[in-house]
Amino acid sequence: MDALLNLLPHIINGISLGLLFALIALGFMLIVGVMELINLAHGSLFALGAYAAMLIISPDPAWFGPLGQWYLGLPLTLRYIVGIALAPALVAIVGFGLEFCMRRTYGKDPLYGLLLTFGAAMVLEESIRLFWGSGEQVMPVPQAVSGAFLFGDLIYSRYRFFAAGFAVAVILLVWLFLERTPYGAIIKAGAHDSEMVRALGINLTRLRLYVFGFGASLAAIAGIVMTPIWGLRPHVGVDAVVPAFLIIVLGGVGSFWGAVIAGVLVGLVVGLTGAYASEWSLLSMYLLLIAVVTFRARGLFGKKSMLEA
Amino acid sequence: MSKKTSVTRRSALKALGGVSLGGAAFYGPWKHNRVYAAASDKPLKIGITSDASGQYANSGASDRRGMHMAIEEFNAKGGINGRKIETIHIDTETTPATGSRAAERLISREECGFLIGAVSSGVANAISQVAQKYGCVYLNTNSSSPTESGENAHRVKFVWDGNGNNFAQAAVNNAMTAYGKDWLLLTNDYVWGHNTSAATRKLVDKYGGSIVDEILVPQGTRDFSSILLKVQQAKPSVVAAAVGGDDQKAMRQQVAQLGLGENMAWINNQQDWPDVYGLPLENLFGVFGTTWYYKLGLPGVSEFVARYQAMYPETAMQVPGNVFYNGYMATRELLSACERAGSTNNIKVIKELEQLKVSAEDRMQHHDAWMNPNTHQMQQTIYLATANHGAEDKDDMFKILSNSSPEAVQDKTADAAANLEPYEATPSYEA
Repeated sequence: MDALLNLLPHIINGISLGLLFALIALGFMLIVGVMELINLAHGSLFALGAYAAMLIISPDPAWFGPLGQWYLGLPLTLRYIVGIALAPALVAIVGFGLEFCMRRTYGKDPLYGLLLTFGAAMVLEESIRLFWGSGEQVMPVPQAVSGAFLFGDLIYSRYRFFAAGFAVAVILLVWLFLERTPYGAIIKAGAHDSEMVRALGINLTRLRLYVFGFGASLAAIAGIVMTPIWGLRPHVGVDAVVPAFLIIVLGGVGSFWGAVIAGVLVGLVVGLTGAYASEWSLLSMYLLLIAVVTFRARGLFGKKSMLEA
Repeated sequence: MSKKTSVTRRSALKALGGVSLGGAAFYGPWKHNRVYAAASDKPLKIGITSDASGQYANSGASDRRGMHMAIEEFNAKGGINGRKIETIHIDTETTPATGSRAAERLISREECGFLIGAVSSGVANAISQVAQKYGCVYLNTNSSSPTESGENAHRVKFVWDGNGNNFAQAAVNNAMTAYGKDWLLLTNDYVWGHNTSAATRKLVDKYGGSIVDEILVPQGTRDFSSILLKVQQAKPSVVAAAVGGDDQKAMRQQVAQLGLGENMAWINNQQDWPDVYGLPLENLFGVFGTTWYYKLGLPGVSEFVARYQAMYPETAMQVPGNVFYNGYMATRELLSACERAGSTNNIKVIKELEQLKVSAEDRMQHHDAWMNPNTHQMQQTIYLATANHGAEDKDDMFKILSNSSPEAVQDKTADAAANLEPYEATPSYEA
């Protein structure tokens, strides 16, 4: 019984961590699903979103003079809401620019797309370094979601539960958008058969632009949510892109719920190994991937190809 | 009619003999095989092996700034023995394999006379193995695994930071008296973490305490939630953390979020200034060690800070910290050793450094410092500090609690473990 009581906090913690992993993977999954493009700049867009939000939430008063002073006088909660709404929109614009650069690579060897997004990742990271410096940054969070609470004998972070709840809300909103709106239907159709979508008179170029921008803004949202947990430094995106890639492969490329469930599984595995065999905690997600892919090459919820018997 | 040419046995033997003699003169057997820059007008090249990416990128940048300030000061005086000093930097990426490659290239291709720089002990160990092969003098400026001056000590390597054992000696006995005897170790899963925790464990045993658990933290860990839950479940009196770089930043942030910094006693072996500069003070919980602080109130410190600020006016880090200090001091002492020796011959420079003694005033520390000739580690003052919650200046983050003399915290284990290569086994060269 004691062992079970000891285990329970780790299971809850693993699930909350998994929801955050799922949030990180969401934008990545969308772009891979619709555009068949592995966006290696996902991590840098994640970092850029966090830096942009930090700029909006707590700008340097010297930059904006009296206006900046007035703005900083507003409640932190209000500035946080502005940051979490505006920063993803700004990163979506960067995503539009990146997609515009990508257009010449469509229909060619996928390596071109990989190289371009890899280059973009490096440019974005170095730009962040030039603009914000290489030191650690701290994003302030509203009082209501900061601090800790006691449950049983253990102290939990209030922000972590807020972040997990926020991740659930974003996941549900994205799902509703994809499943219950005509735009979502077009995106899904584009993922299934882009040529047929074009044949039906839908502007595929614009669809790709919007999907990439949407994916970039989801990366930014994940960056904003994760910053108070992971901290913020120019190369923080590297910590995001690897689990994101792993999760979509594990869940099955293009599968929405596959990515969510894979995220939760990775969170559980990392959380439990972190508690009971911490030296394996980083390795555990790769072992999980190997175990799944060995028996199910297309991931947990990947659809069978028409070429397969 | 063409003249017939033939190779006789006699001429072949003569040619072979000539080649052998020429080769012997150049390559040995006396291992005096690199004469890169004997001419006094040739610049003295120094290879900088520091991280510009990876876990210790930020500390690497601070380390380099320290080296550059020392070099700039010597160049302003006319260089070393009339030779200008030049530097070449290769990013060691906080990766031992890259460190090896960088060292190999800087010595054999770029013909650098000396190598300087390290934050990660794994990288420092890799660099020093290559440096020893060539006899190239290498300064490990900022890595602090006890093994660096213990079993991984080399004749060519000099270690300038305090090590995990020094810091543990300064902290463990006092912490045990103040907080209790049940300790939990948080250990970064690489050479520095393991050796630092081993030193702490030994001291805890020595003073009658016990280790309730040791949790290994893989390098690259960003989520500490499960580890921190485990720590709470273990209910230790003291948590002794040997976690560094970006891992430590993430850990501090998450501990501060939980308020665990106030709820249990933390000993953070060493706290590098670049890892905490600009962070909120609640992230700076517990007691930690350092080798230097910009507000020590000793002669020369404020002038040193002013020189830093004049040279790096644009740097986000507006005051220097321990990493900068170590980078500066190591480089300054290397160049001073070359001056005293009147030569850049590696063996002469090594011998100069081995008998190095620096006054407290010159080091801007509380006690005189000296180089241990057996381990090649600088024996220096060790400070314990905590967060300075009462400060008016935002940069004044540390409150210095105590200082220990080098003799009080000397790492005797390293003394026993170090086994430097003989001079004869170390290739000699003129840098």
